[in-house]
Amino acid sequence: MDEQLSFEEALSKLEKTVQALEAGGLKLEEAISLFEEGMGLAKICNERLNAAELKISQLQTAFEQELESRGETT
Amino acid sequence: MKIHSVAEVTGYLKELLETDSTLVDLWISGEVSNLSESAAGHLYFTLKDESSQLRCVLFHRARLAVTLENGAAVVAHGRISIYEVSGILQFYVDLVQSEGVGILHLEFERLKAKLAEEGLFEPTRKRALPPFPQRIGVIASPNSAVFYDIINIISRRYPLVELVLSPTPVQGDGASAGIVQAFDTLNDAQGIDLVILARGGGSLEELWAFNEEKVARAIYSSKAPVISGVGHDTDFTIADFVADQRAPTPSAAAELAVPHRTELEGRIKSYRRALVAALSGDIDRYRQRIDDLTRVTSMRLGDLLSINWEKIRGQELKLSSLSPLGTLGRGYALVQHSATGEVISHIDHVHRGDTIDVKVSDGQFKSRVTGSKKGLQAWMNNFHSKKR
Repeated sequence: MDEQLSFEEALSKLEKTVQALEAGGLKLEEAISLFEEGMGLAKICNERLNAAELKISQLQTAFEQELESRGETT
Repeated sequence: MKIHSVAEVTGYLKELLETDSTLVDLWISGEVSNLSESAAGHLYFTLKDESSQLRCVLFHRARLAVTLENGAAVVAHGRISIYEVSGILQFYVDLVQSEGVGILHLEFERLKAKLAEEGLFEPTRKRALPPFPQRIGVIASPNSAVFYDIINIISRRYPLVELVLSPTPVQGDGASAGIVQAFDTLNDAQGIDLVILARGGGSLEELWAFNEEKVARAIYSSKAPVISGVGHDTDFTIADFVADQRAPTPSAAAELAVPHRTELEGRIKSYRRALVAALSGDIDRYRQRIDDLTRVTSMRLGDLLSINWEKIRGQELKLSSLSPLGTLGRGYALVQHSATGEVISHIDHVHRGDTIDVKVSDGQFKSRVTGSKKGLQAWMNNFHSKKR
């Protein structure tokens, strides 16, 4: 299973896997491998959610630059 | 020295007036006098105060639902230009209100009507918010409660994003220019897929930047869709009308921006359930098929067996018809040497003095051979003559 998959990608793949399995008409081996894939994707989704930490960055705006040049900090 | 024509001078004046940012968009208060209406329906009047007066025209097409009368104290919006034909400086009015009405409300209504007509509020041009944004630009006052509220809410709900803060003052002089700048900065940044424009509650004056035309246009031309969360639930700003999505408060804007992890976890769980249900459905169907096949097979086997039983019974009947017991019943006897059990079917097999066993239909007896004679001719003759 691709470890680089983003949460969104994993979730959308999971959604498609569920649909494919629900549509039926598969050989048992295919159904089982889809099932395993889906369970793996669900695991990735949960891991991504649990491991995530909000990233925050601040852009330098003209306003900020002006404050700095005046020797003030925000 | 150059000598100008009158038209050159009035044309030059007109150009000067019409390129001045103050004169093309201003509010003037004063008293109405010399009011007259032309045949075409245009209104001409003078606005005056204690010391001066200004010629005004309100064209028919620009007329709004106002009743003008001499002596009325009004606030009028419009632009200053020169009427070249008569060389008169005029105030071209597009909106008149009684002075009692607050100027900010007037401006709000004027800009709202103008932008609505331009199509900036069209529902069809509202962009859909990304269901799973990755980089969210946040325009708000730096280090404000609003900033931290947004950070907290998003970190709790959906920590998979990156917040890109684009700070700007949101109140007072320069606020609107700052907001426009903040949008520019985000437009230049990489991969911003959603923008939150937020400010806490305040008076109409404090929220005013969000009712300015340049802010409206910055929202309209933002690369990424914009959620506005300005003031409280009851505050509506021009920014709210232009934004792709209006949120009643900054916190609500943060909530609208990202999905909730609890909801996502619920979705993942229900997908897992669906996977299990679908697979066990498949397995059940296969099991059913196996059952069916087994039943068919065992039925076939049963059929085969019953056919064989028929055959066996037939053979049995055949066999019993061939059984010597039947023959004995008809008066024949089975004769065997007592010593060897050898069946005697030829006269050469016995000699005088041999002990033999004779079996009849319901028993047997021993006897001794006292004589023998080859050939059955005499007996046969006897048989035939008897029959005859």
